Amino acid sequence: MIAGQIHAVIAAGLKEPALLARWQEAPELLRQYGIEPGAFDLGALWKFAGLTTKVRHNGLRADIPQTFRLLNITGLEIEVFGAYATFHAAKNFGPTVQARIDDLLVFLERWLDFDRLEHALLWDLIRHEAALARLRTLENISGSQIGTLVSRRRPRLSSVPRLSGDVILHEMRSDPRVIETILRRKDPKLEQVPLATSYFGYWHFQGEVYVLELDALGFYLLFTIDGTRSAADLGGLIGASPELPGGLLKSLGDLADIGIITFD
Amino acid sequence: MASRRRERILSMKYLDISSGTTAVGLAFGPLVPEFSAQNPGLLDYVEVPFEQLLHSPEVGSIQDSIPVILHCASMSVAGFVPAAETTVRLIDQEVRRTKTPWIGEHLAFISADPLGKFSEPALSPTALSYTVCPQLSEETVDQVAYNLSKLQPQFDVPVILENSPQYFDVPGSTMAMTEFIGRVVERCDVDLLLDVTHFLISMLNTGRDAMKEIERLPLERVVEIHISGLNVQSGITWDDHATPATEPVFDLVQHVLQRAQPRAVTLEYNWSPNFPHSTLKKHIERVHEMVGRS
Repeated sequence: MIAGQIHAVIAAGLKEPALLARWQEAPELLRQYGIEPGAFDLGALWKFAGLTTKVRHNGLRADIPQTFRLLNITGLEIEVFGAYATFHAAKNFGPTVQARIDDLLVFLERWLDFDRLEHALLWDLIRHEAALARLRTLENISGSQIGTLVSRRRPRLSSVPRLSGDVILHEMRSDPRVIETILRRKDPKLEQVPLATSYFGYWHFQGEVYVLELDALGFYLLFTIDGTRSAADLGGLIGASPELPGGLLKSLGDLADIGIITFD
Repeated sequence: MASRRRERILSMKYLDISSGTTAVGLAFGPLVPEFSAQNPGLLDYVEVPFEQLLHSPEVGSIQDSIPVILHCASMSVAGFVPAAETTVRLIDQEVRRTKTPWIGEHLAFISADPLGKFSEPALSPTALSYTVCPQLSEETVDQVAYNLSKLQPQFDVPVILENSPQYFDVPGSTMAMTEFIGRVVERCDVDLLLDVTHFLISMLNTGRDAMKEIERLPLERVVEIHISGLNVQSGITWDDHATPATEPVFDLVQHVLQRAQPRAVTLEYNWSPNFPHSTLKKHIERVHEMVGRS
């Protein structure tokens, strides 16, 4: 087989993952280029495309280091980045690290099988690291300015809560901080990560970033606070029982005590 | 402006390979400036890719504090599409500026003819941003010889060739990697940048005994050695510059050093800013010991 033509086929498949996917579905298409379908390990070429895509994402390692470690030790690197190369075919990767992380998150949400432990943990961990990385890059607002906004008064049903600072909310299947701890071990055993629905708030406030472990009510309240709805409106939105305004108000009060919300 | 440029040039560091000792360095990466500053005298040089100097010229300032060896992935030495003249000129500019003792180039291709070349001659070549292992055949050996005959005269320093990692069988290949490298060296009278990790990867992926196969290489032609990590994912062994080299890699290096007298050994730990400095230091010291410099 003519070497130049073989190189042309390999380069085209690597450059256009969609083309490679078509050849994988219909290997006989390769005959037009003088290649016998059986002579070419298209699966290995697809995996090589995954390696090159992974390498092109080395710039993300500073922001999501443990995500890369998890991909490595679970043997998911090539599988994930190979599929990502196909998913992202014909598009340019984002111009900034943040944009690339966002693109990767969009892909992973669609591609991951959350019934697989390592996939579920990957999803939790990457959102955890991405949230921290995003908030750390935010401009600091001076402490005194924020301090004047913080209100300690107790809320009433007519009170309108507002978020104070920047907040990212994630519902997780695990505690990603535990995943991080386990990944730092020499021989990490991910099956040791306890699985349970957890709610996290990533909060940028006075130049610091905090990770808050929330209860379900606090989490959904933070989700629905938009600076216009009253506590009573929020209660209606999240389906709180009209007989239980005390619980709702207590939860809002607890959030106000932390400083993550204020009231008009 | 001109005087500032002159000052800059005067302050640049250059690698002296005349002493006969083996220099030990690192491939340029995000942790190199800090590591180099924190460990003065530990590194003899930094290996910097031409492509990085082209796209981020500020990287060149590393040579204010440490000599540079130029690496390259743009000449497509084993390819059938010639490197653009402009590219070759720019490489030569960097050769002159850095005063690199040689150019380490991949025995690989980075661009290829377009798929529809014969039906649509106006199509541009397919250009990749990374190198790919070529077909291992006499036809490719001939092409490497042809390409080098055009490229080498354009530089005042030798082009040395780095073996590719082999991840899959390229259709039409008629020889194994070891034979291919040997044929290229014989035919082109060219020296080698032996990437020991690439070699081990190729042997693992093709089911060969690396220790036996490496004996068949023209090790006396090895000018530089590359060392990096490797890792098995999805049934294939891959190059990995984010993890430390394993014992089998160091065993092979030790074996090579029994016959080869490289001028330089480069640790390629340049994919992750989180690579532990302690491991980096340990591995540099280990290589110092292996080349008799401890």
